[in-house]
Amino acid sequence: MAAGRFVASESGRQHAVEVDARGEVTIEGGEATWRVTAMGGGEYDVVAGERRRRVFVTGPPERRDVFIDGRTFTIEVSRAGERRARAAAHADALAAPMPGTVVNVLVAPGQSVHRGDTLLTLEAMKMELPVRAPHDGTVKTIHCREGELVQAGARLLDLS
Amino acid sequence: MTGPLKRVLIANRGEIALRVIRACAEAGLESVAVYSEADARAPHVAAADRAVLLGPAPALDSYLSIPRVIAAAQSSGADAVHPGYGFLAENAAFARACLDAGLVFVGPPPAVIALMGSKPAAREAARKAGLLIVPGDTPADQSNAAIARTVSQVGFPALIKAVAGGGGKGMRIVAGPAGLDEAIDAARREAAAAFGDGTLYVERALQRPRHVEIQVFADRHGHAVHLFERECSVQRRHQKIIEESPSPVLSAALRGRMGSAAAALARAVGYRNAGTVEFLLEGDGNAATFYFLEMNTRLQVEHPVTEAVTGVDLVRAQLLEAAGQPLPWSQSRLSLRGHAIECRVYAEDPAEGFLPQAGRLLCYRQPSMPGIRIDAGVVEGSEIPVYYDPLIAKLIATAETRDTAIDRARLALRHFPILGIRTNVSFLLAVLDHPRFREGGVDTQFLDREAATLVEAERAAVPPAEAIAAAVAGADGPRPTLTDDATAASADPWSLLDGWRN
Repeated sequence: MAAGRFVASESGRQHAVEVDARGEVTIEGGEATWRVTAMGGGEYDVVAGERRRRVFVTGPPERRDVFIDGRTFTIEVSRAGERRARAAAHADALAAPMPGTVVNVLVAPGQSVHRGDTLLTLEAMKMELPVRAPHDGTVKTIHCREGELVQAGARLLDLS
Repeated sequence: MTGPLKRVLIANRGEIALRVIRACAEAGLESVAVYSEADARAPHVAAADRAVLLGPAPALDSYLSIPRVIAAAQSSGADAVHPGYGFLAENAAFARACLDAGLVFVGPPPAVIALMGSKPAAREAARKAGLLIVPGDTPADQSNAAIARTVSQVGFPALIKAVAGGGGKGMRIVAGPAGLDEAIDAARREAAAAFGDGTLYVERALQRPRHVEIQVFADRHGHAVHLFERECSVQRRHQKIIEESPSPVLSAALRGRMGSAAAALARAVGYRNAGTVEFLLEGDGNAATFYFLEMNTRLQVEHPVTEAVTGVDLVRAQLLEAAGQPLPWSQSRLSLRGHAIECRVYAEDPAEGFLPQAGRLLCYRQPSMPGIRIDAGVVEGSEIPVYYDPLIAKLIATAETRDTAIDRARLALRHFPILGIRTNVSFLLAVLDHPRFREGGVDTQFLDREAATLVEAERAAVPPAEAIAAAVAGADGPRPTLTDDATAASADPWSLLDGWRN
């Protein structure tokens, strides 16, 4: 998962959230740092030291439905400071359709690709999913590496 | 026309259709599912040995269409029809049509359904069988003025309800003359829409009554037994939400009296198969008075509670009885053991006035725990259609004691993630945690008084840090933009699976 600062909103309350380079999550005003591991199918282990909870999450990246301990919350998530720009800025970013492991990356930055070319392969629940180029273009940046576990919606690579 | 059955058509959908299909399979009978266009991919269709399309999604064109259900039974070669609950289950014309078509109807004779389906006739039958009834009447003149006159005769507060009704539809409680006209109009409208019959019945509303019902079962060989009570006082607008057995307030003596009275009524009216005699209980202990409310001439939603504490299989017994066999149990062999509690999980949003929800279950994981039974009509990925009852699943917890059964139900609900639509799971937990409920001191108006407070408390709940962390960690990055096809499919996460190799 990419690092950054986010704003999580629910019921009119806003929470500043920071994800560091190692993927650990800190919530402003909170003591703990959380490590979130996707178990597949919307299920996450959220761990801080010895404390752990099982959380279920569905919905589009910007509006998440979260089930925890018998309760459901709708939490809106946006990158801090670039709420509206986000959709446009990432128009050419390819994202993981579900949590999984990057099996292989078949392209390198600068390489031209044709629509339908396989760019990389994801694996989850013993199934493989080829990630294909949505249009002709050039690979700009690769945000993942082979063997990496990625979250649903995680940015995999940018295509110009 | 009875004898061994071979193939049973289940004239229903959802969890009850699955329940009956499984009972058929256990008994070595073939099952025939019926479905509407909205249910083509529903679990009950996949579970049956055969399936017949009835028609378009609206119930009137599918599950409520007598000619279509009968035609499905005939085309599929079924020899019996199990109606489940709701839809045509208490429709005497349907039972009659089954018999006329040479089909065994898994339920009582049509004449008994008709008798018990008519409030005045049912009350008269109950009175003759020695049961007390709540003062009330069905005015012959159904004008608002005539109904208002009957209301003033029985006294306030009064209940106005559909003669053909059930499940709280077409029912209004009026505390005084103000708003009476509107209540009558609303009840009539709902009754006409839900049951095709706007005839209204008026009765006195009891003070803090409890809803206690007795499960009965009778065969054509002269046996009629009762299988003790279910306490169903946790209701929201007359819709049951939590049911349990035994009732926390019944003494052994009162249980015996109510059971005997219910069995006597079944015997008196020539009842057959499974039925439920509903009572309103006023007062406490041995001094409590129980009034006959109505008889439901079908299997109840909450039948698993009785199965859990008596150890019997009511659906299997229904199939045996329909085949002409004598009851598998005698009264003296039946006993109560432990405590069971059922929570109805509905697709509804408590925070939005319990508005029914429709949509896809993006996440649905049933807990598997000791003492927990879940009867559901859905799986992960199921679509909840807008057309039918919003019941998703029934969670039944069984334990040695009431307190332990409640603890088990709480734990299971806390581990029952359902996402994609809103459900009442957190509301059920709030009810289970309510001190009045824990004490067992709940009457039928408890939720009407408390629901708003409970919902408000739930609305104010702050998500724990773990929920926020998971929402953000899983949300990083834009929407999937894999290929044009995948982009189009990203609105439907399940179709993404199609491209995956296993």
